[in-house]
Amino acid sequence: MASSRMVQLGSSSVIQTKSKAKISFSRKAESEFFVDNSALAGFTGERILYMAIRELIENSLDSCEAERILPKIAVSLKLIDPLNDLWAISCEDNGIGIRSDKVSVAVCSFLTSGKYVEQQQRGLFGVGLKMIAAFSTKDTDHPLRVWSKSAEETSEYYFELRTDIGTNKPIVLTRRDTKPKESTIRGKSGFRIEAVLRGRLSPITKNRIHDYISQTSIVNPYAVISFSTDDGMITFDRRTNIMPEPAKEVLPHPADMDLKTLKKAIGTHALQKTTIQGILCNSFQKLSFDKAKEIIRNAGIEAKQADKYSEHELIKIVNVCRQTKFQSPNVDHLSPIGERIFTVGMTTERTIFTKKENAISDDESQPKISTREMKPTLTGYSSRACIINNRPTIVECGLAYGGNLSYFKLYRFANKIPLLYDEGSDVAREVISEVELNKMGVSKKQVKEQFSGLESRSDRAIDLLPIHIFFHICSTKIPYKTAGKESIASEGELKKYMKACLSDLYRKVSKQIRHEMHLKDAENRLKLYKYYIPLIVDAISESIDVSAEDLTNSFLALVERHVKKGVSHPRSVMTNVENHAVPVERHDVRGQQKGSGSKETSVVTRSKKSLKMKRLDSTQEKIENFLTSSEELS
Amino acid sequence: MSGMDKRHKETIKKIRLIMKAICNDVLSGKKMPSFDITKIGYDNTVWSEEKRMLTVGTKTVHISPDTTKKIPTFSQYVVMSNAVRKLLDEQMESTIRGMYYATLSTVGDERNRQKFWTSQDASDDAIKAVELLTGVPREEFSVTSKPKGMISGPILLRVGGDLIDCNLGSRATSQLIPTNIMDVEIVDVKADFVMVVEKDTVLNNIRKSGFIQKYNAILMTGSGEPDRATRMMVKTLNEVWKKPVVVFADADPWGLGIALRYKIGSESLSYDSDRLVTPDAKVLGMMFSDIYEYNIPEVARLTASDEDLNRANDMKKKQWLKDKKWQKELNLFLKNKEKCELDAFFKHGFRYLAETYLPQKLRESGIL
Repeated sequence: MASSRMVQLGSSSVIQTKSKAKISFSRKAESEFFVDNSALAGFTGERILYMAIRELIENSLDSCEAERILPKIAVSLKLIDPLNDLWAISCEDNGIGIRSDKVSVAVCSFLTSGKYVEQQQRGLFGVGLKMIAAFSTKDTDHPLRVWSKSAEETSEYYFELRTDIGTNKPIVLTRRDTKPKESTIRGKSGFRIEAVLRGRLSPITKNRIHDYISQTSIVNPYAVISFSTDDGMITFDRRTNIMPEPAKEVLPHPADMDLKTLKKAIGTHALQKTTIQGILCNSFQKLSFDKAKEIIRNAGIEAKQADKYSEHELIKIVNVCRQTKFQSPNVDHLSPIGERIFTVGMTTERTIFTKKENAISDDESQPKISTREMKPTLTGYSSRACIINNRPTIVECGLAYGGNLSYFKLYRFANKIPLLYDEGSDVAREVISEVELNKMGVSKKQVKEQFSGLESRSDRAIDLLPIHIFFHICSTKIPYKTAGKESIASEGELKKYMKACLSDLYRKVSKQIRHEMHLKDAENRLKLYKYYIPLIVDAISESIDVSAEDLTNSFLALVERHVKKGVSHPRSVMTNVENHAVPVERHDVRGQQKGSGSKETSVVTRSKKSLKMKRLDSTQEKIENFLTSSEELS
Repeated sequence: MSGMDKRHKETIKKIRLIMKAICNDVLSGKKMPSFDITKIGYDNTVWSEEKRMLTVGTKTVHISPDTTKKIPTFSQYVVMSNAVRKLLDEQMESTIRGMYYATLSTVGDERNRQKFWTSQDASDDAIKAVELLTGVPREEFSVTSKPKGMISGPILLRVGGDLIDCNLGSRATSQLIPTNIMDVEIVDVKADFVMVVEKDTVLNNIRKSGFIQKYNAILMTGSGEPDRATRMMVKTLNEVWKKPVVVFADADPWGLGIALRYKIGSESLSYDSDRLVTPDAKVLGMMFSDIYEYNIPEVARLTASDEDLNRANDMKKKQWLKDKKWQKELNLFLKNKEKCELDAFFKHGFRYLAETYLPQKLRESGIL
């Protein structure tokens, strides 16, 4: 199961002895390698607790989505020993669980994963969970406690585990079959893990964890995620029952062939004594038997048994494949979020915030954290499918505007995982600054005039808008900039497609945004009137004999009508969003990077109309009252 | 005093009528309250050949809280109108700064609080607007400014109930011209003519020399830019008491500008020119040609700045400076790029200005 690349990396490590003359070579276990080089998996310093939470949530979501189970995940992070910085971390899900005979290796042995396939998933490396186990073993004397109820088995199993870091093997302290009455997992299947980790939680890291959970909830609105800490408990409820089409495992695309994939394919079929053509069309997608024959002919190599070819001959096949035109790759192995789910996520966005010190009462039982609903007034969605580095890639872009949003914020997701660090160097940031705001039909001047009063960190117009922009890139090979997997590089034509996607979205929401800005402007003006009317009324009622209350009320009614005059109601664009699968244009792909695009855009506006009508009615009533009272006055 | 009271009452009535008009608009709910007032400033100032002064044009401004920008302005005018009414009701008097303080407040809520006045300029503008709204000059509101004009010579004033003789025998001081001009009454004028100079320093020098006694003159100064009270006093002496008025200012575009305030008025106050301007006043000096005719030594001359030259170029185009004499003077200035202050005559001796230059200029123009 282990990826050969990773193992090679581990075995090539060199240990130097004291003697200068001799260098002794020794082999290092995968576990030891990863513990020594924990930064490779992101487990560094203050990030340990953040990474642990992240890995557990991602595993749980993957486990649920594999069988289209609506996820229900409970995460908890509690300080159990302040003196030694020990934290109890736990995560429980209703996913497919892990078969009892595989639990110990799945939890403890590095580079063991059920995910080494060509299919979009959150986790890929089989490292995250093992890292938690290894760190727990390394830093504490607590065992890892695991409850697993696999969909393939009837009973729940309980384990107490530690990792033998020197050999990459699990140490099973306890293994028992839980009696149905005592079972921890309520549903048909599920998985629960409890670990004790040593780590520090700085306020910054704490906020990152909060951001991670709330952003995960945006792209997984079909999941219930509850998070409990010493500061209180937050639950993100399920807002939709729709789940994205699960990703399917597919064969690799021939344009992406290299010596390694070809040899692996031959190796898999070694016992079947088939021809190289047979192996090609069975191991790669979009490759017919005729096409395979053509490739072999073009490669100019003689026909013989598949495992008899030398590397010199195989590389010729690879080179021919990189020059040959093939049909566009399959996108069945990708699982975009889709318009419907994305829209639900954006409209129900909630962020966790920590209450201010002075607002917290002395009562210890009061939760210190709470959530704020963003309630954007409009959202938009657009997507593109394209080929980046021979891998099909889907770019999804969402936008939320108004409501409780106060300023611009960029959200980046890769394969449904929120990216939180290194925003400045992410391609999405470049895309945002390169796509002109006036595609939205608003000028920078307008934006500055209307929003400059709000607290802002920069002069750039986009930063002043109450707008959240969401980018989701899904691919089996995300072009991450660094090993930390926190920002995406502008690889190939990715940037071009992202820009096109965002421009599309801007154009689509333009009308609504302008309308919202009009409303906002009217609101601002009304506010200004409300500030000044008392001064005017006071001045007048001091000078002449008139009821200040009557005057105030009529004045308010008058300005309200005056302000509304300029604001028209645009037709709200409600697009049919039934088909949320992203179509890909048929397109021939050559060996070089090349792309094609298809788009799908729409806007959903939550109408405020009914509310407005009501307000107007009451205004009318007021005016009539004042007409009669003013007659009496004169 | 009873006449004054009556005028006060009329002003209060006018303010109340404006308030009433606003009230009617608001209570009927038919339209935003609004009123048109004369526009103030250079773009609504026209030269009247007939009156020989700057007068106000026909442009008006629409004052109404109908746009975001105009809401504060409208409120300020209403609040200031009420403040003026209060001042009159309480029979008090105030400076423009006092009015600013009396109406200071903030607007908004805790999250967004702004000052009602951005600066005293805004409050001063509001006072002007109340003048235009009511058609009543600010002196009748009892709104005044700090006195800075000075007068000296055989003239008897009554301020309130007190008699003030400006013919101060000691030659040691001058009388400040009161700014509450409505309370000032000219009782008697024994002088033959009125001489206005630009600066108080020059006035002091001339007074000390015994010029007043020798030539039976009234000396006045506005200490730079003259206030309304000084301008009105000059006008009254010229038009009511029929005394010739001569003006002396520095030989630079700035000084010429100040001299012209008395003679033709100013753009910012063009709406009130009829009460402030003395078209018969004569601007006698200091001419640019005087620098050379009276041999002001080079060391006492100043080099003209770019701003001076621009101003002079602008002035050349003005209708009121079209005659040959002024064009020649301005061309001379633009050619030599030299200016000179009246004080420069002190280089010829402390008595030279009062005893040689001024009498000679007055004789040339036939005043003496």
